[in-house]
Amino acid sequence: MEILLLNALANGILLGGVLALLAFGLNLIFGVVKVIHMAYGQCVMLGMYLIYTLRSIYEVPLLAASAVAVAAMAIWGALLHLLVIRPLLGVERLNQLLALAGLIIVFENLAHVIWGADLRGVRVDLPVVSLGNLFLKTSNLLAFLGALAVLGILYFVLQRTYVGLAIRAIAQDTECARLMGIDPGRIYLLTLTIGGALTGLIAAFFSPIYSVHPHFGGSFTLMAFIIVVLGGMGNLAGGFLGAFIIGVVTSVAAVFTSTEVAEILALVIFILVVLVRPQGLLGARGAR
Amino acid sequence: MLEVQGIDVFYGEFQALFNMSLEVREQETVITVGPNGAGKSTLLRAISGLLPCRNGSIRFLGQAVHNLQAHRIVELGIAHVPEGGRVFPHLTVLENLKIGSYIRKARGAADRNLGEIYQLFPRLAERRLQLADTLSGGERQMLAIARSLMSGPRLILLDEPSSGLAPLVVGMLFDFISRIKSQGYSILMVEQNVRKALELSDRAYLLESGRVRLQGTREEFSQESYIRQAYLGL
Amino acid sequence: MKRWLPVLPLSAALIFPLLKVSPYLLHIATLIFIWAFIATAWSYMGRFGLVSLGHGAFIGIGAYTAGLMFNHLALSPWVGMLLGGGLAALLALLVGWACFRFGVMGDYFALLTLALGEIVSLLLVAFREQTGGSLGFTLKRVGTSWLYLQFEDKTHFYYVALGFLVGALLLWRWIDRSKMQKALRAIGEDEVAAATLGVTTIHYKLRVTMISAFVAAMGGVLYAQYVTYLNPHTLAGVGPSLDIAFKAILGGMFSLWGPTVGTGIIVLLEEYIRVNYGAKYIGLSQIAYGIALVSLIIFLPKGIYGSLEEKLRRKRVLPKT
Repeated sequence: MEILLLNALANGILLGGVLALLAFGLNLIFGVVKVIHMAYGQCVMLGMYLIYTLRSIYEVPLLAASAVAVAAMAIWGALLHLLVIRPLLGVERLNQLLALAGLIIVFENLAHVIWGADLRGVRVDLPVVSLGNLFLKTSNLLAFLGALAVLGILYFVLQRTYVGLAIRAIAQDTECARLMGIDPGRIYLLTLTIGGALTGLIAAFFSPIYSVHPHFGGSFTLMAFIIVVLGGMGNLAGGFLGAFIIGVVTSVAAVFTSTEVAEILALVIFILVVLVRPQGLLGARGAR
Repeated sequence: MLEVQGIDVFYGEFQALFNMSLEVREQETVITVGPNGAGKSTLLRAISGLLPCRNGSIRFLGQAVHNLQAHRIVELGIAHVPEGGRVFPHLTVLENLKIGSYIRKARGAADRNLGEIYQLFPRLAERRLQLADTLSGGERQMLAIARSLMSGPRLILLDEPSSGLAPLVVGMLFDFISRIKSQGYSILMVEQNVRKALELSDRAYLLESGRVRLQGTREEFSQESYIRQAYLGL
Repeated sequence: MKRWLPVLPLSAALIFPLLKVSPYLLHIATLIFIWAFIATAWSYMGRFGLVSLGHGAFIGIGAYTAGLMFNHLALSPWVGMLLGGGLAALLALLVGWACFRFGVMGDYFALLTLALGEIVSLLLVAFREQTGGSLGFTLKRVGTSWLYLQFEDKTHFYYVALGFLVGALLLWRWIDRSKMQKALRAIGEDEVAAATLGVTTIHYKLRVTMISAFVAAMGGVLYAQYVTYLNPHTLAGVGPSLDIAFKAILGGMFSLWGPTVGTGIIVLLEEYIRVNYGAKYIGLSQIAYGIALVSLIIFLPKGIYGSLEEKLRRKRVLPKT
């Protein structure tokens, strides 16, 4: 029993690392562009299919396939910005939300038409790491460490570079940022490109762990929303914390009940947070 | 240096400025006064490119700027300090100053400018690692002005720098502005505190309901009976 | 003149089966009526700014309540419909009250309802002993029976679905004429101002939300009766929830005929592509519809029918001025 709990906790924390990356991307986009990217998880799903195709059909090495996916998803993110998000910048928030939700339909069916409804996976045989009674899959561990490393790099960029400073300034006061000589259009494009590259990275981390199917993105988009709302929309630190809370809650609940109950639990937490504390656990005051 | 020629500016359907003309010469400090809603802030927002002009032209150092976006205008040497300072609350003092030197040509001189600013405002040096939203109102205003200097501007637009500050702090703030003036910057300032602002200024404009009602040198302005009655309370 | 305009499409719909059309065409028309019924129900609240992305919850509750009651207790779906509708309305009351009480509006309301739809879908899967889980279950066949709302002849169900749709449109008109409409319109425009005018906002919002949920649940029962098969992924969750909202938005949720027109366009498009390009590319129609939807929101925020109507109205007004 204790061993089971211990392993669930550990795996929850590992999952939390990748979820934190997902939440970071959504939060960054929300904080800077003020748009809720409804189809973010679906972008991860497309990235996974891309890796699968490169790996299984063209026999590209996994690392190279992952690198291609990151670049391709970055371009994909930029394209989405230019074609969908930019024309919607001035309109009501609700219309932005609905248009981006419309993309869910486009992306899921795109995957359906190209790859079909079956599960597609990249087979990777990695040993299991055991520490006493703790058993961790190497792929999960690598994803966790990789996600933390990427988060560290992003944190450094946001803190120490002019571009990072400009991103944070735009998130806090767009008009004033323009008076500093910052071009919001460029920063928005850059943000969506980074956000896109992140979906490629997450896809690379997920590929050895999960098989992908057209609706794969759905549950992760919802999961990412839960995390983002839990931490406070646009609050990067809150999102980081929220990712680990949700990672642990769902994996512990999944061990003791079932995956559905775990997901229901997460969704109920989400609804309660939206109702009672919409500013999130740490309060949303712009991307810090 | 700055020539505003007959501009009309709108907020949606509402016209805020009518055929407005105004000039700022090299190293000159010009103030615009007038009641709330006269269009003073609107004028500054039009010059810095936050609002478009429907008619007329704005020229800066001989170049037409009324069609440029705000971030391009900063690069030409106009720095706008918006009302209330508008520092970035979740950036530190140092980061706020650094973002002031975001434009490419200012980055090389950023460290030198930072040193000068810390000399000019020792208070900011003390607080450089604090988040801007922990500063007092006066400090925030100083930070905003200091931030504008970081872009290496020729002309500084100040929007009501003294609003909401205690009288003692206002005195200090005007000292800072006069120090900046003495360094050779041109300044266009919107101010409610007409008496103090006039002391600093070379010339002044009175705006009412989106039009220029009066203009003249500091001396002419302080002699004008309408100004003395309505704005100086004499 | 304008009063009698709706008679035209209605009589066309009434005559349609008499033209000896193929059962296939009747089938498509019936599907359009059922989903238009649901989309119209969705618009009852959508047009007042209460954009729900969780109506799958209500059709799912309706369909599963009536379906399970029928299979296990031989309860007539007419009664099941009222029971399911009642349950859906109860859920709407609970969630709506919490949302309006805590001031959840706009995009937060949309996100919250999205989660609600997903919860119901997950619950349906989780209770797999009773519901058949992801695979769903089929309704027992009883041949042609008005009591059990099953027919061997497609024409019967065609008229039933048409009747329901007309009822939903009449209900829309009734809401338009009621005091509720005035209050809700004021709320949709400016909630704070409406509140100071003494409009008890929560009361009216709750009422329209419950009506919408009840009617949507009836639609769910209708659909389940028609296809005699229930599945959590077609009757609840994110997919169907978005589908319902998008059909209404595509047509124009602010116009009486908007949701019907939107549903018609989408179902026909889907069928056209399915027939011409085969089941393998069934996703193509969905892609086209998704792209159409996104472009529409960008270029025609009032929906296809809604924008058309506005243009006509403007033309009509012009000569007078």
